[in-house]
Amino acid sequence: MQNKMIGYVMILAVLLFGGLSTAQAAKAPNPEAAKVERMIADADKARKRAASVEGEWRDVGKMLKKAKAALAKGDYKTAKKLAAKAKSQSEMGYIQAVAQKDLKMPSYLKY
Amino acid sequence: MTISTKLLGMASAGVLLAGQLALVPVASASDPSMVEEGKALAFTRKKGNCLACHIMAGGKAAGNIAPPLGAMQSRYKSKAELKAQIADATVKNPETSMPPFGRHKILSDAEIDKVVEFVWSL
Amino acid sequence: MKHLLKKIAMLAVAGGIAASAQASPEADREAFQNFYKNRFASVPMEEYPNGVYSIDPVGRENWEAIEEFPPYETFIDDGQEMWEKPFANGKTYKDCFADGPAIAGIYPLWDKKNGMVMTLPLALNKCREANGEKPLKYKKGAINAITSYIAFASRGQKTNVIIPKDDPRALEAYEKGKKFYYTRRGQLNFSCANCHLQNAGMKIRSEVLGPALGHTTHFPIYRSKWGGMGTLHRRVTGCNKQVRAKPFKAQGEQYRNLEYFLTYMSNGLELNGPGARK
Ligand code: HEC
Ligand code: HEC
Repeated sequence: MQNKMIGYVMILAVLLFGGLSTAQAAKAPNPEAAKVERMIADADKARKRAASVEGEWRDVGKMLKKAKAALAKGDYKTAKKLAAKAKSQSEMGYIQAVAQKDLKMPSYLKY
Repeated sequence: MTISTKLLGMASAGVLLAGQLALVPVASASDPSMVEEGKALAFTRKKGNCLACHIMAGGKAAGNIAPPLGAMQSRYKSKAELKAQIADATVKNPETSMPPFGRHKILSDAEIDKVVEFVWSL
Repeated sequence: MKHLLKKIAMLAVAGGIAASAQASPEADREAFQNFYKNRFASVPMEEYPNGVYSIDPVGRENWEAIEEFPPYETFIDDGQEMWEKPFANGKTYKDCFADGPAIAGIYPLWDKKNGMVMTLPLALNKCREANGEKPLKYKKGAINAITSYIAFASRGQKTNVIIPKDDPRALEAYEKGKKFYYTRRGQLNFSCANCHLQNAGMKIRSEVLGPALGHTTHFPIYRSKWGGMGTLHRRVTGCNKQVRAKPFKAQGEQYRNLEYFLTYMSNGLELNGPGARK
């Protein structure tokens, strides 16, 4: 009997919360959220560009994942900060790789 | 309190301000709290980790890739010059193994200013 | 005639500038090995397969104690079992590698048919897949057992990477690996050479940086830090990560080309795998 009750409550809870979160997502488009989303997309583009020259840095992927999670939670400030950092690191990685396009052997190796 | 130390105090309080201040020649008197913060930044592995390569007074388990850091004021004419070395050592020596702390934003500009204060005091 | 002379002179100048960037693999290897001969004049060539312990007497003592009861021994035994146990279709590794198990010395090799560097782990998985078995993972796990067995059986062979002249893509792969080695990566801006050539023998914090000569002779390794075994590509992944660069895929093109170059640098050195490291 008690078990059944718990079951009902749980189903109710799932319906309620599930419903709530979809309702939230479907709410009138939030311009701030859209802006952050664009920032993340931009940063991901920069990441791919760095990767295309083998210049991606270690934590960029992690930053973007965290930015997306923050966006989903409505924490735009954190999401923006992370997206900006991911973009900046991607750009630095790209520049770093391109600057070394031509191999220059170190002077301490004597030929 | 002199105007310059007041300014420095304000800089460490406000990150925004510090960014702008960096353009102004850095004051030469050292704020003790900035030196302390700079020391922490210099020693922490996830931040400056200068000890990975430099022996520095007060630091443990230092590496020996690079010259020990000391008597900086006899080696550098100004804090700005010292800052340039820390911000991007590849400018002076393209083959250096010292990471470009500023150019690659390993440390923020405000953080580098604090590290400069600390290193300048060595 | 004058024209021709001028041309030759120009070529010579151009060649002079780019000499080391486009040197032959043999010239590269000589410069590489001479670098260490000069820096560690008292270390005989045969010592380099022992990695950092060839130059770090303190670490060496500890290592020799560990080698008394090698932590990789059980992996060799497990690998032998894998080697001998027939696949579901009744065949064994021996059907793929007639000269096995002592085959480590021929890898990495240039696979002309597929236009790529073939490494031992990759070849083992090709064999498995051709026989309907699932491929092994390339960093941790059973790949280290089978390669431990093969490495042990191959002890005493000499590193002898060949870059065949009849396929320009082989030299290209080597050049890509060389470029990878000398390219700075990650937020901390290190190339492999910054640590393993320029600063070899120095300490980063309390860790001695080992010479790259001999880096490929003893894999897989048991690492105390891992509490287990790992492949060369697992080790390189770690070295990429510590400079805050995104590592590449184990057995992907970048690391295979890197292995081709790096192993070539050790040509002439004896194989002594599997190994134990800190
Ligand atoms: C990975 C090694 C490494 C790390 C980490 C490192 N440095 Fe250096 N540093 C060097 C090397 C090598 C030199 C020698 C000059 C050169 O090659 O640029 C040097 C030179 C210097 C100099 C010039 C010394 C002189 O006498 O002119 C200063 C100042 C300096 N480093 C400060 C720092 C500070 C501050 C940090 C931490 C925020 C730091 N370094 C971290 C490797 C390192
Ligand atoms: C910041 C310094 C640093 C950089 C950069 C670095 N390594 Fe290492 N590497 C180490 C240290 C420290 C060790 C452990 C001590 C040793 O054996 O040298 C190590 C170990 C290794 C080993 C294992 C050695 C053995 O005997 O088993 C290999 C292989 C290796 N590195 C390859 C590379 C390659 C390839 C690169 C470039 C992608 C690279 N490393 C970049 C610091 C570095």
